[in-house]
Amino acid sequence: MFRMLVEKELKSILQGPKFIATFSVCSLLILLSIFVGIQDYRAAVKQYEAGIHLTEQEMEEAASWRGFRTRIFRKPDPMQIFVSGVNNDIGRFSLIHSSESVRLVHSVYSDDPIFAVFRFIDLNFIFLAVLSLFAILFTYDAINGEREIGTLKLTFANPTPRVRYILSKFIGSWLGLVIPLIVPILLGMLIVILYQIPIHGEHWIKLGLYITVSLLYFTFFIILGLFISAMTKHSAVSFLLLLVSWVIFVLIIPRVSVMTAGKIMPVPSVAEIDGQIDRYSKVSWEKYIDDMEVRLQQRRREMDGMNKDEREAYRDAHLWDWMEEDNAARQAMQAEINRMSRQLSNELMRRKAAQQEFAFSLSRLSPASAYQLAAMNLTGTDIGMKERYIDAMEKYHDTFTEYTEKKRKESGGGGGGIRIEVSSETGFSFNVGQDRGALNNDDMPQFQEAKRSFSEILIRTIADFGILVLYGIIALVGTFVAFLKYDVR
Amino acid sequence: MIRLIIEKELREIIGSTKFALTFGVCAILILLTFYVGAKNHQLNVLRNEAAKTENLRRLEGLTDWLSMGSNRIFLPPQPLEALVSGISNDIGRTTKLSGKGEIVAQDSRFNTDPIFAVFRFLDLEFIFQIVLSLFAILFAYDAINGEKERGTLSLSFARAIPRDKYIIGKMGGSFVAVGLPLMIPILLGCLMLPVFGVHLTGEEWLRFFLVIFSGLLYFGVFLTLSVFMSTLTQKSSNSFLICLIIWIFTVLIIPRAAVLLAGRTVDVPSVDELAFQKGRFRSQLWQEDRNELSQFKPSSNKDPMAMGNEFNKYMQKLTEERDRKTNELSYRLEEERGNAQIQQQRLAFSLARISPSAVFSLAATQLAGTSLNLKKNFHDEARGYQRTYAEFMKEKTGMVLGLGEVLIAMRSGGEEEEEKPINPQELPVFDYRSRPLSDVLNDAALDMGLLMIFNILFFTGAFVGFLRYDVR
Repeated sequence: MFRMLVEKELKSILQGPKFIATFSVCSLLILLSIFVGIQDYRAAVKQYEAGIHLTEQEMEEAASWRGFRTRIFRKPDPMQIFVSGVNNDIGRFSLIHSSESVRLVHSVYSDDPIFAVFRFIDLNFIFLAVLSLFAILFTYDAINGEREIGTLKLTFANPTPRVRYILSKFIGSWLGLVIPLIVPILLGMLIVILYQIPIHGEHWIKLGLYITVSLLYFTFFIILGLFISAMTKHSAVSFLLLLVSWVIFVLIIPRVSVMTAGKIMPVPSVAEIDGQIDRYSKVSWEKYIDDMEVRLQQRRREMDGMNKDEREAYRDAHLWDWMEEDNAARQAMQAEINRMSRQLSNELMRRKAAQQEFAFSLSRLSPASAYQLAAMNLTGTDIGMKERYIDAMEKYHDTFTEYTEKKRKESGGGGGGIRIEVSSETGFSFNVGQDRGALNNDDMPQFQEAKRSFSEILIRTIADFGILVLYGIIALVGTFVAFLKYDVR
Repeated sequence: MIRLIIEKELREIIGSTKFALTFGVCAILILLTFYVGAKNHQLNVLRNEAAKTENLRRLEGLTDWLSMGSNRIFLPPQPLEALVSGISNDIGRTTKLSGKGEIVAQDSRFNTDPIFAVFRFLDLEFIFQIVLSLFAILFAYDAINGEKERGTLSLSFARAIPRDKYIIGKMGGSFVAVGLPLMIPILLGCLMLPVFGVHLTGEEWLRFFLVIFSGLLYFGVFLTLSVFMSTLTQKSSNSFLICLIIWIFTVLIIPRAAVLLAGRTVDVPSVDELAFQKGRFRSQLWQEDRNELSQFKPSSNKDPMAMGNEFNKYMQKLTEERDRKTNELSYRLEEERGNAQIQQQRLAFSLARISPSAVFSLAATQLAGTSLNLKKNFHDEARGYQRTYAEFMKEKTGMVLGLGEVLIAMRSGGEEEEEKPINPQELPVFDYRSRPLSDVLNDAALDMGLLMIFNILFFTGAFVGFLRYDVR
């Protein structure tokens, strides 16, 4: 009996005209999104490699360790083929220089805003918006539709247990809708392999988990369709209720929760923080220049009473110490500015993290939000990506600054750059520093990307996974309870 | 007769549960959009003011305008951005500039606050584009074949009802019943704006109502399309499926596919490449100037102050020449990139205009001032401000320094006169002006015209389809 009911459900789905049209559209969409994702990934890799190459050329042509700088680019991840997340909204690289703080700039959308006009289609979007809508389309009349056409009472003219009936409805609908989706998904994976995208062991596991979460999300809407159908007498009403639920879950709750969090827990803008940092920098520079003036006057006083040759000799004997003293003062000032800048930035990040936590907790009322957060987390395109890169870049910034300082000292303390001396006794002199390409940076430290361990990813995803399972169970229990009381006549 | 049919349609729709539920949801969404938009705008205005204040505060205590270095300007939030966000959150809104040199906008809202990029904003464009278009389909997909399925169509045509009047009445009634009630929450929303401190100028109100008009035209497109599909099919489930598939293609696929295709077809040089070329050229010029500077001999070796001033003038002369050459290259490279982008944009939007959804999006963002022109407009306004700022600095200090440029400052020994601090309020204010209304209307006219054409096309299709429809 059970098997027969499942087969009946499968046949009614697979043999209906609805199925061919929607399955074709879904397959096309899935394959198109993966194909487009692959093209974008390859373009991103090309841009990344070009950026690195250009930076290396710039470094080769540098003439001064003081002005020596590099750029660190975010490396494209193959998983962005499936879930673009915030990848195109966040800056692509940061300048690394001793006197500049780390900041990700030049996002894909800000450089080429044409891509922001309509945004990218990815597999995540297909599942989130399109497939969930199709799940509703197939299940909104699963119960009340049969009642309307009279087949429900015919079925229950036989001693059919209600629990078994509703279970067979669920399994039949699930098999009829999910299994055909596996076909284009597998074809999509084949396309990824054919294009030789570097997807390795861990990527495949993450991809498998992502597909599982996506199917779980899809299953929720199948169950929701059955539930609402079992709650209403007319299919038109159940369809309307489902469409309204879809709009609320997929479109409204996620956005409203972020906006609510922004209102309840406001954070200062980056422009305000930059203004505070600028102000502090200005004050520090003024103090540094005043202290420098005091040191210069002290040095002049030490040479009072000496003739020209004695002053020259005294200056030569003390030049290195004076340069080291000036440099130490400058470094201390810069370090203080960097410390202040980091403190303000960290405070801003802390407040943003709190706002974010609150927003996402609210948004998890919607299974669509839970799905999207899980998807972005599994593929590494969540908003934590920005923090991870900034943390790694700040660590590298310190290492790089130490390296350039060490090199500056090894090169004789001047480190290149310009030296101007103006004196009524010695006249005017201008030292131009070293030639271009004179710096040997073969031993420059390399940037280490912040990698998340697989267990870390799983821990962060498990909550959202659990939420989707919970919603599914609640809807399934609701469906059972509603159908047990349903008037089948 | 038409009036009777319209009244019947009105009663049928307005008296249905479908209408109550969808109107309720739409009304809540629209009011929520206005409320959230108004609050966001208030917050953005406060943040903008705070950023400007911080920018001025760093000038406190300075005694010399030259030590100010660079100035920051900010793209101020516009009231209509809160209702149609467009690309306003994707582009850089802060520019650090000096009296000369490049202007680069940084810190887009989505880059600085990526939380808003996760789910994006709720705005009127989104409501019309996604929600109302779906609801238009919901009300009209069974306008003809639904009546046939229920048997009321053959009953209606048992009398001598002209088909043309019937279909006109049907579509008119559907539009009036579904479209006009939406004006209630929209008008309530308009009342909310000044209450929450969002004050629109006359021009902004005009633009806003044109956005609403475009939204209603777009809504009409899906209404007429659904009725058209209803006249092509016998079963309402089939017309609904077709309408849904068309919706998915026009709203979700075609616009994005058009942009991606244009991106592949037209190659635009990347900003990294341009930055590298500019940097390399600047570096080459600096090497040449470095050699010239090392050969500098002052006219007199007696007075360090005079030597310093003479050197400054010489360095300034070389810098100006270097800047001129760098600006020429920069201008040429930016122009090439800009031209490629325009070509790409034209191709993308021409292809995308197959979709009424893309057409509406383009019209709404043009009218609200949040289209791709926003980035160019901010850049142009910043360039204009840079000239004003350069004149101000020249007047105050006698020279114009670029970003990162240095100046030799000489202090003589002995007692100096105490310098008075500068007055930051003297700094010229960046007064951002949106594009003129005439330009905006010119650009939006094409898209609004296209929406009308879509309406006429689908209306004609429904009309012709119904004339041949088997009503039995």
